[in-house]
Amino acid sequence: MDRDTILLVEDNPDEAELAQLAFARLDSCYDLQIVTNGEEALDFSFASGRYEHRPAERKPGLILLDIDLPQISGFDVLRTLRASSSYSHTPIAMLTTSDERDDIAHGYALGASSYLQKPLDFEGFAQLLQAVSHYWLRLNTRIH
Amino acid sequence: MAEFWKKRKLSELRLALERRGIGRRLLVSIILFSSLVTLIATGVQLFTDYKRDLGLIKSRLVDIESSYIGSIGASLWNLDVTQLRLQLDGIRQLPDISAVAVYEMGDSSSSPIVIESGEFTEVNTIVRDYKIVRQFPSQERTIGVLRVQASLEQLYARLWDKAVVILLSQTIKTFLVSMFILLMFYRLVTVHLGHIARHLSAFNLSTPGPALRLNRRAAREPDELDLVVDSFNDLTQKLQDAHDHMRQVNLALADDIVARRRAEKEVSHLNAVLEERVAQRTSELEAANGELASFCYSVSHDLRAPLRRIEGFRRILAEQVAPDYSDKQRHYLQRIEAGVQEMSEMIDSFLQLSRATQGELYVATVNLSDFVSSAIAELRAQHPERQLEVSIEDNICVEADARFVRMLLNNLVHNAWKYTSKEPRALIEFGRLNAQQDVPVYFVRDNGAGFDMRYASRLFSPFTRLHKSSEFEGMGIGLATVQRIVARHGGRVWAESRPGEGAIFYFTFWDRNKDSGQGHDIAGGRQPG
Repeated sequence: MDRDTILLVEDNPDEAELAQLAFARLDSCYDLQIVTNGEEALDFSFASGRYEHRPAERKPGLILLDIDLPQISGFDVLRTLRASSSYSHTPIAMLTTSDERDDIAHGYALGASSYLQKPLDFEGFAQLLQAVSHYWLRLNTRIH
Repeated sequence: MAEFWKKRKLSELRLALERRGIGRRLLVSIILFSSLVTLIATGVQLFTDYKRDLGLIKSRLVDIESSYIGSIGASLWNLDVTQLRLQLDGIRQLPDISAVAVYEMGDSSSSPIVIESGEFTEVNTIVRDYKIVRQFPSQERTIGVLRVQASLEQLYARLWDKAVVILLSQTIKTFLVSMFILLMFYRLVTVHLGHIARHLSAFNLSTPGPALRLNRRAAREPDELDLVVDSFNDLTQKLQDAHDHMRQVNLALADDIVARRRAEKEVSHLNAVLEERVAQRTSELEAANGELASFCYSVSHDLRAPLRRIEGFRRILAEQVAPDYSDKQRHYLQRIEAGVQEMSEMIDSFLQLSRATQGELYVATVNLSDFVSSAIAELRAQHPERQLEVSIEDNICVEADARFVRMLLNNLVHNAWKYTSKEPRALIEFGRLNAQQDVPVYFVRDNGAGFDMRYASRLFSPFTRLHKSSEFEGMGIGLATVQRIVARHGGRVWAESRPGEGAIFYFTFWDRNKDSGQGHDIAGGRQPG
């Protein structure tokens, strides 16, 4: 069986690097794909644009989505993905520093599977990534 | 000129008569009464005249008997018809005697003598029969009857003439007297009444003419008309005065109304300006609130993110090269960590404070005692080593927003917890005062470090601390949050303390006395905008 791909949409390179470092600490058996903006996230998801050579049938098993992205926002990406039949059931977790009620409610209303607030300490962040990956890709039963 | 006035007066008099005025009624009354009296007097007089004349006739008849019966008896006895006839004619010449007759009465004679002079009728006559007696030595014998008829026609004619004369003269007298009375009444009263009436109907309060004066000679003593005129002039003067007074009052009132209208206009103008200003301020406030909300969002998102990264990289740095670090390097890493921690708390506090002023209130019944208990239980779980005595009054309930009230009590309990951390036997108490009856006062009391009341006014300002941060940690945001939450629930918060003797924080909800102020109400002057 192929390793599951986790798609992380994160525009800040430092955040991306920290996420990579956190993933590296995990005894993870997932591929982590990082894209830096919404357009790229959609290209990757639908195997279009610069990712058109990617095998389309290998969809990411979990998408971690930041809200505050340049140009196309995290919510727009979420809306577009949910509108497509390919991603109507794919777990999409909002991963962000915001704990605004409105943002949380908006995320769920657009069909986010979960809403995660990044903890301040790195250790906690690593554990959060481990837990969410484990839950959605191992414990949770998916449609194949 | 005098001729003209006389004519005019006469025509007025005629008019007064033609009108159903007092003069006409007076005239009718006088005539009726006078006629009645005349009739009665005439009747009485006629009746006495009648009686007297009747008596005269009767006595004449008696005279006829006494003076003629003897000679007629002798003539009858002698059967001297010629003499008898002469005698009868003589009687008939007497006044009022209309017929006389002699009838012979005898048992022997076959044809008794009957002599009649004049006609006997039965209307308006008095008839008397006198026996003619002949004296004989042995007896007296009735030899005939003398019949005398007196007529009343002349009597009646006389009475009738008299009645006509009396009635005619009385009527003329009555009419003349009545006319005279009427004229006098007109001159004395009616003409002046008319004058008074004309004066009255032409009378106008706003343009008063001369006083009422009657056109007549001044009487020696004032009579009724003078009294009427005086009273009227007096009344006119009083009316005039009242009218003047009224007009002045009216003028004053009009001035007043104008002034009031002007004031009302000013007030409404001011109100409009005020409303405009309020609307402007409100929209400014709304804009400011919106800005504040987006600022809070930025703070939560934008400040936290780099802080997380600093902490993340610090952590990796600390882990990766840890064994090689000198003590100094380790110290620096620790300082970075402490700084990050402090900044993070600051951001959290700031958000807490701003959220305490935003969002709608969902008011329901909340149990303050339960919130205090759970806050203390949480703190005890985190710090099981601390000795703490707790006193909580049960089931203190209030109508408020549970979310905010929990935040409020958490802050006060944390505050008490923090400032009793150095006490060997810490005490935290929550309860309700009974002193103020209409608005309950709640309090959280501790026996901790306390503070100097001189600085009490700064207690509820954000980012203000009365203690050194080395003594007690914290951002100085807790009490500011408390103050905002209490203010949003229409209440007050204030504190009493003395250094080293603990502190009591009082607060109220839905406090009508909020604006009246209290001596120790240090929150009153700084409600959040």
